[in-house]
Amino acid sequence: MIIQSHILTKALDAALSTGADFADIFVEDTYSSNLTVLNSKPDQAIVGQLYGAGIRLFFGHEIVYVTTNDLSEHGLVKAALNAAQSRGQGAAKKSMPLMQVPFDSIHTFGEKPWEMDRDRKFRWLNSLDQHARDRNSAVTQVEAGINEKFQRVQIANSRGVMAYDERAYSRVRLETFVESMGMKESSADNVGHMGTSELYDTVDLEKFAHENVDRAMLLTKAAYAPAGEMPVVIDNSFGGVIFHEACGHGLETTSVAKGASVFCSKLGEKIANECVTAIDDGTLENGWGSLNMDDEGNKTKRTTLIENGVLKSYIVDEMGSQQTGYEKTGSGRRQSYKYAPASRMRNTFIAAGKDSFEDMIRDVDYGLYAKKMGGGSVNPGTGDYNFQVQEGYIVRNGRVEEAVKGACLIGRGIDTLGKITRVSNDLKLATGMCGSVSGSIPAAVGQPQILVSSLMVGGRAK
Amino acid sequence: MDTIKENFQKILSEAQRDGVKVEMLVTGGESLKLGFQKKKLEKFESTQSQMAGLRVIKGATQGYAYTENLSLEALLRTYKDALNNAKTVKSEETVEVPLMKPQAAPVMNLFNPEEISMEKKMEVAKTLEEACLNADQRVQAVPYCGFVESTSFKRILNSEGVDQEFKQSSYSGYAYPLAQQGESSKMDGEGFFARSFKDIKAQETAELGVRKATARLGAQKLKTGNYAVVIDREQFPTMLTMLAGYFSAKEVHENKSLLKGKLGQKIGSDKFQLVDDALNLRGTAVRPFDSEGAPSQRTVLFENGVLKNYLTNLEYAKKMNLPHTANAARSPASAMDIGPTNLVMGKGDKSLQQLLSKYDKVVYVTEFSGGLHAGFKESTGDFSMPAEGFLYENGHNKGPIDQFVMSGNILDLLGLIEDLGNEYNKEGNSMIAPDVLVKSLSFAGA
Repeated sequence: MIIQSHILTKALDAALSTGADFADIFVEDTYSSNLTVLNSKPDQAIVGQLYGAGIRLFFGHEIVYVTTNDLSEHGLVKAALNAAQSRGQGAAKKSMPLMQVPFDSIHTFGEKPWEMDRDRKFRWLNSLDQHARDRNSAVTQVEAGINEKFQRVQIANSRGVMAYDERAYSRVRLETFVESMGMKESSADNVGHMGTSELYDTVDLEKFAHENVDRAMLLTKAAYAPAGEMPVVIDNSFGGVIFHEACGHGLETTSVAKGASVFCSKLGEKIANECVTAIDDGTLENGWGSLNMDDEGNKTKRTTLIENGVLKSYIVDEMGSQQTGYEKTGSGRRQSYKYAPASRMRNTFIAAGKDSFEDMIRDVDYGLYAKKMGGGSVNPGTGDYNFQVQEGYIVRNGRVEEAVKGACLIGRGIDTLGKITRVSNDLKLATGMCGSVSGSIPAAVGQPQILVSSLMVGGRAK
Repeated sequence: MDTIKENFQKILSEAQRDGVKVEMLVTGGESLKLGFQKKKLEKFESTQSQMAGLRVIKGATQGYAYTENLSLEALLRTYKDALNNAKTVKSEETVEVPLMKPQAAPVMNLFNPEEISMEKKMEVAKTLEEACLNADQRVQAVPYCGFVESTSFKRILNSEGVDQEFKQSSYSGYAYPLAQQGESSKMDGEGFFARSFKDIKAQETAELGVRKATARLGAQKLKTGNYAVVIDREQFPTMLTMLAGYFSAKEVHENKSLLKGKLGQKIGSDKFQLVDDALNLRGTAVRPFDSEGAPSQRTVLFENGVLKNYLTNLEYAKKMNLPHTANAARSPASAMDIGPTNLVMGKGDKSLQQLLSKYDKVVYVTEFSGGLHAGFKESTGDFSMPAEGFLYENGHNKGPIDQFVMSGNILDLLGLIEDLGNEYNKEGNSMIAPDVLVKSLSFAGA
């Protein structure tokens, strides 16, 4: 509990004082810590606090949103009145009596970030640095860091909901720089979860560091990727960024309600190959993109988006539900109180299929195996998406052959979904950060290995 | 004395007792965002923000902490956190990290809030959507459009007696219509930036956005190959952004910059001139002083293709024995870094049409659809940028092209710059560039 219920009630009543149909308050107190090892030394330590509230009002489909850093009764009521008076001229309404929703977390957290011995965190980072430097003398620089965030939120709305939640995010990041035979390269990776940092006692830091250095070294010898359309096998885990960009964003009601998605009005229609079933799941225990409740106070859900190629559900927040009539999916999310919530993805993945990775590769005469993916983006209105391949290989006559670099993959979501012709049985998830209208939020992506029969590979022309 | 100063004096007393130096950076502001959808007001957002960041200097190490709670109690707690952080980190140096001493900064006069009625602001936001919908029946929706009025401030106080404040106010707006014709749908748009309400051109912005989106309808695929390319002046800033980190003396010192060891070397073609200029009022990164309070200046980065300077703050100028360029960059929540302000390229003397007519076939790039996110690797300079544009043959526009990727290396590209246009991109960007003709780049397409 951050703010007492009688204060929240006063603020909600102030918000309804000019006839708003609905009001909610999102209060946040967040601790952040960012530790970095560089040049094999503890180089940076930053801690901080976010502390504020966002008050949202609905007048029909119009959203009024205000923020304040003053969490006193006076500050909250004043902000709520400002919001109400900025737009409304109707008769005052009263909020329903607040009923506390029991705080029942599906996650298990260890020591809070500020409780844990900081030397222990630096020991992890130093060992990452040492493992990386020991792996290859070509390593010229190592930057290792731990980012932690512990967010406490309280949400109250005019329908009488009052809820509290805690979210802990921990992430280790590692970037290694190498120089070999005059070629400079780097590789960056991270491992994280919803939870506190004790996780890193169980992570094989040596393996994590070695893989990173090996990837950077591989790239110093790799030729540039070819250019043109070809079959592409995309690896599991972070490979799921393709679904996130090609389809996921287009299913958010933030785009659908504006008529700005290629997936508008396609519910019940076949939009993908039959082998594709896709899920957006907020309920995975300690999952990177999981929630107990969303940022609108609704219990989160597991949502089947596509089943055997048929569109089953959009990703729906409170206002999206009012605008489109679709049922809410517990997907209202935001980076912080500074943003009004919007419909956003949680842990989004293509479900396991029946094929084997080996069979997929055997099917390809000439194509690309995209083993490690980087960032991407999409224009939901046109469905045009793109993302980077950090580590790729040429597939020739059914065999994975030489490594290539510098590729990016581009396509149009609805075309690509129809061209996913094989899905393996080896599903894995990975952690990502997703940026959109309500800021940057943790979102997991995932998939088994998939075969896309034809995709534009943006490499170098011969 | 105002509250911020009073509170800082109390922190200063603590710092003196602890035998350390301290700097406090306070930023904040207010903004109003208005957005229309389907001819009705959809979004009314009024936000205010404030944050204080403390930097504690303990000999050669520095620690940081920040808070949005500006009460004395919270600030003193934050100071203690920063002190603990300064004790935690280690440095290879033995010399104390320098702090800025009081020095007069240029007066910029960019804070001019106006009394504009809500009706007038609404009218701008409304026009941004409606003018798009009315301009062309192929416009289906305007998914991204809005008007923003904002004010911001930045204040720096430190143990040496610095107390500087900079405030500014501005208006901005944007309209990105989604146009459709048959199976082809395209979104493009336009924005404006103004320091005075009378300079806002909402109707023109919307109409130009529509012209840009509809011109791209029916785009064809480009055949894979090497082509001469003109990168539009509104898009070349994306290429300049690739370079931005390389100028940092800190990145050079940490072995991360591709420009390490290249001072005085010729990297770009003779046509490539670039300066960092925080005082250029065309740019949005204007400021009278940097993030440690040093007065802003103009620094030549490239002259006739030769790398002339790195960018520095006090610490790295001293550490690397380089000229101090006043490019300290940080927010209250981040560590001290070095960053560019307005990067301003030199212009050429050719019209856009002259550049497009230079070769039999020219790819005219008008959009990098994935930004830097999908296609740039800073450690190598290699880029593979998803793009859209138009194909020109013998100076004639043969139609829009899309679904292609332009690849190369950013330092190589600077050397391949053949000619420059005679006009700059519109105001509202911190990167100021003309149209750029590059002799040959690789394009992946059909």
